[in-house]
Amino acid sequence: MKSNTNALKIAVTAVLTAVVVVFTMIIRIPTAKGYLNLCDVAICFIAFTFGPASAFIAAGLGTALADLISGYAQWAPISFVVHGLEGLFIALIVRSKSGEDVSFLKKILAGLVCMATVSFGYWALSALFIAGPAVALAEVPGNLVQSGVGFVLGLGVSMAVKRAYPPVRSLSW
Amino acid sequence: MNISTYISGRGWLYRLDPRAKILLMLLLCVFFFLPISLAGLLITVALIVVVGWHNTGKRNVWAVFRSILPMLIFMVIFSPFSGRGGTPLVQIRSFTLLTKEGALQTLRLAGRFIGITYVCTLLFATTVMGEVILALRFWRLPYKAALVITLSFTYIPFIAESFDRISESHRLRQAGPDERKNYIQRLKDLMPTLTSVLVVALRSIPNLAMSLEMRGLGRDEKRTSYHSLDSYTRLFTDLLISIIMVTLLWLIFKA
Repeated sequence: MKSNTNALKIAVTAVLTAVVVVFTMIIRIPTAKGYLNLCDVAICFIAFTFGPASAFIAAGLGTALADLISGYAQWAPISFVVHGLEGLFIALIVRSKSGEDVSFLKKILAGLVCMATVSFGYWALSALFIAGPAVALAEVPGNLVQSGVGFVLGLGVSMAVKRAYPPVRSLSW
Repeated sequence: MNISTYISGRGWLYRLDPRAKILLMLLLCVFFFLPISLAGLLITVALIVVVGWHNTGKRNVWAVFRSILPMLIFMVIFSPFSGRGGTPLVQIRSFTLLTKEGALQTLRLAGRFIGITYVCTLLFATTVMGEVILALRFWRLPYKAALVITLSFTYIPFIAESFDRISESHRLRQAGPDERKNYIQRLKDLMPTLTSVLVVALRSIPNLAMSLEMRGLGRDEKRTSYHSLDSYTRLFTDLLISIIMVTLLWLIFKA
């Protein structure tokens, strides 16, 4: 049984990581630092559906791999930390033990935390390691919009997937 | 969707052991943050670009530079404004537009950014992903983590292809394909496609888990490995060369 759980965990994490990579690479709007994308939709969907551990690993690893593949390897460690934490925080806020619906207030809080984590995380880490504070500041509005839109779409997609494919609940860990 | 970062070539960087290449990349990234002279930093960056040019060709070197050019332009425009203390270089009446210190700081930031970009890019351009994973395993990346990365690379084309097929199907159902839509409407239209793609991806999880189970994942016996880095026979020498190279750069250029 233990090995069975391990196999399922690895399968879930691998497929969700691939989902994050694809969502990050499908639609890309070039910006000063790199590009804006749909990765937050996938991350919010995973956080709402699968829980903190899956969200942290798949979000961090998926965005880092997407950066590597797209030729932005220098951003991979920063993306891993920022998006990993984004997934973790959202999942921790919306986690419910008995499976009841998440309250509206929690959703709002999760959305704000999502936007704050992405914009502040990218600003702080790129100011520290890559671009300096002034240049890093220029990307904050773009990151706020991307994470905000991503959160709303991710929430909608999460509800739609749960309706369209109910066994998804048995895959979370 | 092309997920390969490898560019085929025969330069000496291709023959360097991937385990040593990872160490060299990390050491060089650390080196860029050490207190070194600006001239030293720029010479090191120039050397790395020349190595990249020699090994992967000028097309790749130019492609990497083009990808970071917008960021560099941003740096040149905005960074000098954040450091306006010091010797003024450009002044409009009493307002200092650019100082010597601000310009040097911008040059350092840009040099560091270009250096880190080329170092990271060269590792993945001269090493196939399978060997990168094996090298990471050598540096103690857990087996399960390596397996997750490998499986993800296998599933990326499948999910990307599903996305293409599903979005094409949804597009065919639209009444007026040429009508102009605003951003909100376009995002709304994307929802059914994203939902379908996720359902297709999630449906593959039970099969993948069963395959892993059947292949013996989680059993106690030691696993055999089909792929290895045995063709690289100079691990110790390459590791030593990597360490000596960065140490020499540090000794020559330290501030």
